[in-house]
Amino acid sequence: MLYPDTVEAEVLVHKPWFVVTMFAVILAIFLAFNLTGTTMGELMRPVIGDPLQSGLYGRFAVAFVVAVIFSLNVVLIGFAPLKIQIAIVWFELLLLFLAFFETFHLSLPFIWEKLPFLITQGAVTTLYVSAISIVIASVIAILGAVAKLSTNGFAYAIASFYTSFFRGLPLLMQVYLIYLGLPQLGFVIDAVPAGILALSLCYGAYMTEIFRSGIQSIDRGQWEASRSIGFGFGITMRRIILPQALPVIIPPTGNQFISMLKDSSLVSVIGVWELMFLARTLGQKSFQHMEMLISTALIYWIMSICLELIQSRIERHYARSKVR
Amino acid sequence: MRHLTRLTALAASLAFTFSALPANAGAVLDRVLAAKTLKVATDANWAPQSFMNDKNELDGFDVDVAKDIGKRLGVSVEFITPGWDIITAGNWSGRWDMHVGSMTPTKKRAEIFDFPGVYYYTPAAVAVHKDSKATTLADLNDKAVGTTATSTFEAYAKQDLTLDAAGAPAFKYEFKPKDVKSYSNSTTAFDDLRLGDGTRLDAVVSSLPSIIDAEKAGYPIKQLGAPVFYEPLAVATEHGDAEFDAKISEAVKGMQSDGTLSKLSVKWYGVDYTVVK
Repeated sequence: MLYPDTVEAEVLVHKPWFVVTMFAVILAIFLAFNLTGTTMGELMRPVIGDPLQSGLYGRFAVAFVVAVIFSLNVVLIGFAPLKIQIAIVWFELLLLFLAFFETFHLSLPFIWEKLPFLITQGAVTTLYVSAISIVIASVIAILGAVAKLSTNGFAYAIASFYTSFFRGLPLLMQVYLIYLGLPQLGFVIDAVPAGILALSLCYGAYMTEIFRSGIQSIDRGQWEASRSIGFGFGITMRRIILPQALPVIIPPTGNQFISMLKDSSLVSVIGVWELMFLARTLGQKSFQHMEMLISTALIYWIMSICLELIQSRIERHYARSKVR
Repeated sequence: MRHLTRLTALAASLAFTFSALPANAGAVLDRVLAAKTLKVATDANWAPQSFMNDKNELDGFDVDVAKDIGKRLGVSVEFITPGWDIITAGNWSGRWDMHVGSMTPTKKRAEIFDFPGVYYYTPAAVAVHKDSKATTLADLNDKAVGTTATSTFEAYAKQDLTLDAAGAPAFKYEFKPKDVKSYSNSTTAFDDLRLGDGTRLDAVVSSLPSIIDAEKAGYPIKQLGAPVFYEPLAVATEHGDAEFDAKISEAVKGMQSDGTLSKLSVKWYGVDYTVVK
């Protein structure tokens, strides 16, 4: 929340001009599509007669009803307390999504049959590949950030070369380069370690910059004060700078974790049987890949939601000092 | 001084690992027999040649052929499923020993691979949308055609195909598309074709078995004209181990003469594709 002041004002969605504008926009949008042939038209049969014969009148009636329902819904939600508002809007958006998937006519028995394998083989592989990569990337990031901030020419040169190179190449290309390129040097590396290496190096480079900017966001006065009471570099970093930098670092780092979870799908190209690989192969024989793609999408989403929750927990932990 | 000795030792051990790792000539057969496993690379997305079955295991014609070769060598078979472009890139560096994945032995591929055994021939055909107005293959001139990337179908569509394997029948280019779109697998191409005649694609060049399979699964497509060419398909190995190649070639010949291959082909395709018609 930006700044929750205590000025009493009418809720935006209850202001007449807003309600009228919203109603007009929705009406216009739904007039643009002919919905008389859908379930909506079928529901309106008592009023407009045969939906397909109703013409412009039917089209207007359907759009009108949709606009009324939509506006009423928004106005009513406006009365609820904040938390309930959020819950209702989430729930309604979710329903819309499910209705969208429903139009694909997916075979649910097929999904149920494949779901255990998708989770035990696919989700588990995805999780451990990303978890290991996240740990390695964090270590690289700390080292890289310190190197980038140091006055040592070698350390700075190596770290900046590293971030420039690995941020500058597409991750997919890094996966290929490591898997196909390292054997040329004599290191035959398996698919899973190659994927982990590529993910760690790429995300390590991004996170180096995040850590660096976090550390730099701390006022130099903190360094000066710490040094003046005789603290060395290590203890200043550990006890003074990092604890203050962490609240700055954590939101973008959580972002990186979530995006790493999804980018781990790129290692499917080298034959690792993780979620994305299974999504593309399991339904292939019976031409039911839409089923697999959508269920995999939901699994990815659920895993991301878990990470989001963890992130917001950690953020709350570090924001303790700001709560009144 | 101590540092220096340690550094030297480290450098020496590194140099040793570097030089020791690359596979030596003739080593593949030894490795296979010593480990009692034959590592076979194949595609997991290429039904009915190789795909994931109901039990979430690899299954299909290619998979059965690979298993039979393993049986004849007296070793068990382990499957690895890298992307097709990674297999055809070569430099397998011992990650897998051979590839049974319906590879067509072209001259360019022969620069990196040996083809110890041609085990069947696939008719390549053209599929169009059900509503297509095309009646002959020549109607596809200046149309958009979809294929699989780096496949012989793509080479055919781009009029750049060389079939130089023993026993490959002669063919001619029946049409010249305006636009050739390449997909990572044939299903994606069929998905684009099913959107409608000419929506994204006017036709797809693919193997006849996969076209028939897609048709059976309810895709609104049909075969147009006769098969455009017959593709010989072979087991691929990397250059360098003649003994291993001889063993595979012997195994494939054995499968041909005792009827195993024909039986497998009928099992998976309903037709004997192991002989040229």
